[in-house]
Amino acid sequence: MKKIALLTIIVLLISSFTTSKRTEALIEKEVKSVFNIVKYSKQPISVSKEVNETLPIKIDDTNFFKIKSEEKIQGYYYLGQAFGKADYFDFIVIFDKDLIVSKVKILVYREDHGSEVGSKRWLNQFNGKKTTENLTYQKDIAAISGATISAKSMTNEVNKLLKTVTILYNKKQL
Amino acid sequence: MKNIRLLAALLIGFIGFAQENSNENTLNLGNKISEGVSIGGYAQIDYNEPDGAAPGKLDVHRLVMFLGYKFNEKVSFMSEIEYEHVSEVYIEQAYLKYKANENFNVLAGLMLVPMGIINEFHEPTTFYGVERPNVDNYIVPTTWREIGVGFSGKIDNASLKYQAYLFNGFKSYAAGAGILRGTDGLRKGRQKGAESVINSPNLSAKLDYYGITGLRLGLAGYFGKTQTDNSSIEASTVGISMIGLDARYKFNNLELRGQYIHTNLTDTEDYNLLTGKDLGSKMYGLYGEVAYSFDLKGVEKLTPFLRYEKHNTHAETAGILVANDAFDRDEIIFGLNYKVANGAAFKIDYQLMNNAVAGSDTAKVFNAGVAVSF
Repeated sequence: MKKIALLTIIVLLISSFTTSKRTEALIEKEVKSVFNIVKYSKQPISVSKEVNETLPIKIDDTNFFKIKSEEKIQGYYYLGQAFGKADYFDFIVIFDKDLIVSKVKILVYREDHGSEVGSKRWLNQFNGKKTTENLTYQKDIAAISGATISAKSMTNEVNKLLKTVTILYNKKQL
Repeated sequence: MKNIRLLAALLIGFIGFAQENSNENTLNLGNKISEGVSIGGYAQIDYNEPDGAAPGKLDVHRLVMFLGYKFNEKVSFMSEIEYEHVSEVYIEQAYLKYKANENFNVLAGLMLVPMGIINEFHEPTTFYGVERPNVDNYIVPTTWREIGVGFSGKIDNASLKYQAYLFNGFKSYAAGAGILRGTDGLRKGRQKGAESVINSPNLSAKLDYYGITGLRLGLAGYFGKTQTDNSSIEASTVGISMIGLDARYKFNNLELRGQYIHTNLTDTEDYNLLTGKDLGSKMYGLYGEVAYSFDLKGVEKLTPFLRYEKHNTHAETAGILVANDAFDRDEIIFGLNYKVANGAAFKIDYQLMNNAVAGSDTAKVFNAGVAVSF
C-alpha cells in the first residue's frame, strides 16, 4: 500500500503541469480545420439591446464571433455552456457562412457523470443542421445511455442557439 | 393485500390523467451550483407483496443524500450518505478527485467498483422494476464500494471511457469464522470502507464504448484475492476473477439492455474445509430486458418492460461440495414505469422466481414503489 500511495502522488505531480490556455488553442485548432485555413481573424458580433432581449441566448462580445479569412466571411462560432447533472460544461458550435452547423465540440467537461457527451461521433449528429430546425432528443439526436441529462441538455442548448441565430439573421444582425 | 395492489394500479392511472402539461423547457438549476457545494439525492420506497399468506413489506429501502464540494477547477470531493431501511446508515461514496487534464482524473477514497450497469448507475430512476435486478444482487453485490485509488478518463475521438483502480477486496474471514457463502457468493464480504482490513489490493477496470449510435457497451474486470484478519491461515482467503459484459441500446422509444457476469473463485475447497461454508467456485449471472416508452404529456412517459434473469452462485463447486440447485435461479419480471418528471417515477411490477430444485414452486412477488433522483 505504501508503494501505491507514493505512486499516486508522483502521477499527480507529473500530470499537474499539463493544462493551460487549452480552450483558446482548441477553438483555434477546430476553426482552422473546419474551414481548412491557416490564418483567420475573429470579430465579436454586436447585437442591439432591443434585439438581445428577444433572444433565447444572450449575445455579448465574448460568446459569438464572425470568422474572417482573407477579408471574406468564412463562418461563425458560438462559445457556450450547458448544465449537466451537477455542473456546467463548455462547448463550441461552429457555423459555416450559410449558417449551417459545421462542428460541435465539448471543450471542458467538469463532472464525472455524463462525460460521454463529448464523444466526437455523438456530436457529429449536429453537423449539417440548419437554424430553422428544432431537434428532439432521442428522435433527431440519438440517446447516450448513462449520459441522458448531459446529452439532453446539450441538445436543448443547440436548439436555443439555432433559434437565436435565426432571429439574428432575420433582424440582419449578422 | 389485493386491495393495495388495485389501489396502486388505480393511483397510477389517475395521476396519469390528472397531470397538467408542465413547462419542460426550463432547465431547473435549483440548488446546484457550479462552484462550491452541490447537493442532490435519490430515494427508493418499496412495497413488496409475496404471493400466499406471508405479509407484505413497506420499506424506505434507500434514501441517499449526495453532497459534493468543488475546491477549484481541478479538485472536487464527492460523497453519498445513505440511509438503508431507515435505520442503517452507510457512506456509499466519499472520494477526492483531481482532474489532471480534460481526459485524465486521479481519484482516491471510497468509490464504486465499475462492474455491470447498476453498480455505477444505481439511482432508482435509471432502471426498470421496483427493485434492482437480482444479478446485481447475487453476482454483482451492489452497491459494491470499497476504499481505493485509481484513475478515470475519456477519449472523445474514440468514444471511450476508461477506469482503473486498486481497491480493497472482500473480507472472507474474521474472528475465526468464514464470511462468504454459497447462497449469495461474495455479497457478505463487502467491507464498505468501514474499518476495513487489507492484505492485498484488488485490481478493477472498465472500458465503455459508445461510438455506435444509440449503443453503449461495457467490458469490466475485477481480479485479486479476498482479505482476512488472520493472514497466517492461508485457507482463509480465496482468489477472485470476475468479468462483466454489458450493453444498453436506445432507438427512439425502444430500450434494450443486458449484461453477463462471470466469476471464478480459486481455493474454495480449502476455504470451505476451514470454515464449514459452501462457497461455490464458479458463479455467473445474466439478464436481458426490453422496454418501450409511450410518450404522454410533457416529459411524462409510461414504459412497460420485461426482463429475464438467470444466475447461479453454484455453477461449479470444488471438492466434496455438491452444487445446491436452490442457488441456480431464474426469474421473469414485467411491469410498468410511470415517469412523471425528469427524476421521478411510480413503479409497479410482478416477479416470477424459480430455482432448479426439482418440484419447487414458483415464488411470486408483486412490487410497487416510488423512485426519485435529483
